[in-house]
Amino acid sequence: MSTIATLPAIAADPTEPATRTAVSVIGADKIFTLGRGKKLQALAEVDLEIAEGEFVAIIGPSGCGKSTVLRLAAGLDEPTNGRVEIFGAEPRQLARQHRLGVAFQEHALLPWASVRSNIALPFKVAGRPVDDARVDGLIDLVGLTGFEKARPKQLSGGMRQRVSIARALALSPDLLLLDEPFGALDAVTRRRMNAELARIWGEEKITTILVTHDVDEALILADRVIVMTGRPGHVRTVKTVDFPRPRDAEITRSSEFHALVDELTCLLDASDGAAA
Amino acid sequence: MSRLRSAGVNLVHLWPVAFLLICWDVWVLVNGYTSTVAPRPWFVIQDVLAGFADYVPSISYTLGMALGGLIGGTLIGFVGAILVWWSAALSGIVTPTALIIRSVPITALIPIIARIVGYGDPAVLASTTLICFFPAFVFTLSGLAAIPEAGRDLFSVLGANKAQVLGRLGVLYALPNLMVSVRITAPSAVLAAMLAEFLMGTNGLGALFSESRSYMDMERAWGTAVVATVVSVLVFVGAQVAERRVDARLT
Repeated sequence: MSTIATLPAIAADPTEPATRTAVSVIGADKIFTLGRGKKLQALAEVDLEIAEGEFVAIIGPSGCGKSTVLRLAAGLDEPTNGRVEIFGAEPRQLARQHRLGVAFQEHALLPWASVRSNIALPFKVAGRPVDDARVDGLIDLVGLTGFEKARPKQLSGGMRQRVSIARALALSPDLLLLDEPFGALDAVTRRRMNAELARIWGEEKITTILVTHDVDEALILADRVIVMTGRPGHVRTVKTVDFPRPRDAEITRSSEFHALVDELTCLLDASDGAAA
Repeated sequence: MSRLRSAGVNLVHLWPVAFLLICWDVWVLVNGYTSTVAPRPWFVIQDVLAGFADYVPSISYTLGMALGGLIGGTLIGFVGAILVWWSAALSGIVTPTALIIRSVPITALIPIIARIVGYGDPAVLASTTLICFFPAFVFTLSGLAAIPEAGRDLFSVLGANKAQVLGRLGVLYALPNLMVSVRITAPSAVLAAMLAEFLMGTNGLGALFSESRSYMDMERAWGTAVVATVVSVLVFVGAQVAERRVDARLT
């Protein structure tokens, strides 16, 4: 299945409410120079197109370049060949306009700042007045009420990740990039955060790319799941997930859901094998 | 009771000082030195205690010069490092200058400094500033270079400009490093102040030492050395406390 084919084409008629393309990655590869003439090809000819308001999950074996795709979309790296466009412009443009939210694998919290100041940071960097109600709402959302004044070193790993997710959401970004944001959470908190994220996404319809190891998580949250092969990473399969939302326990227990989990897990195994 | 006990423990920790005093006394006695060669510690201590009022102006002058130079040199080093971080062109000017200043021994520089800025107070202050400048420069620069990759990435995706990266990230990562520099240069600042006073000053512990020696008042001269050591240690301890506070707040 081709990636492009699964997407609705941009409508030619401007009067029709068309789905805009939020992210397009065209033939991008990424080669890292490791020194002494050694090179590492992280990505090979990746093509992706993500529509505005879509939630896409990227799964793949470790080291398959999932995070590199996110870094390209965030404008933190540039593709060696190919092109990346976000809302029709170069990726850095979105960051400059303070319309990008990213939760990194490493939480990157400021050690001297409280939970509250860390979440308020995007407002300050953007030069906007801090929206206290919004910050409080986010603190509540990620379940850290009572910890507003705590510093990162006083929090557990999972709590720190939750702060970083709240920070990514602070400015209601147009594009949200999540790099295994729930990696350090226990299974129960993880499921709760999945549900919360699905709820926020349902409300704000932020275009989201989620990188994850967890097939269940991808299926609970995403409209489409992109399976990547091992190094050098490229898109192996794109799977449209059309379970109705909200995807509660009834759906996750269904045999269709399990069948899809099995299918994607098999694909992951196969792509792992291809890498070896 | 427990306070008494802890005071006792602290006293026990002072054993190296007592040991040093005993060694000093034994050394004078065994060699049969007269008080013009080397006075016994007890007479020196007696002079410090009895004539403490005479020491106070010199102590406060030297302390003032050392702290002034410490703060001035640290600030100049800090600003210099930020300039180097900010612009490659400025780096080409500031870095070699800093290295040259560092490579010339301070003792050789003092007469030149005095010739340029004037004898007395300006020379003393300039010398202490100069000795504190380089460590502050190097430590700040290494702090700025050690901003974590994740922090840079974060500020990049937040759309921060260079001034925001510096103000909200760089400076706060550099401050604990800067405090290390303050701790290690603080005793050197006292040393530099005294050296400049000794060579060309009219005030301070350095001048007091040189003056007492020329009057053959050896108890006073050695007393000055003892007082200078205590001042130096206190400045170091003070800097260490400040460093710990900054560290606890920022990391």
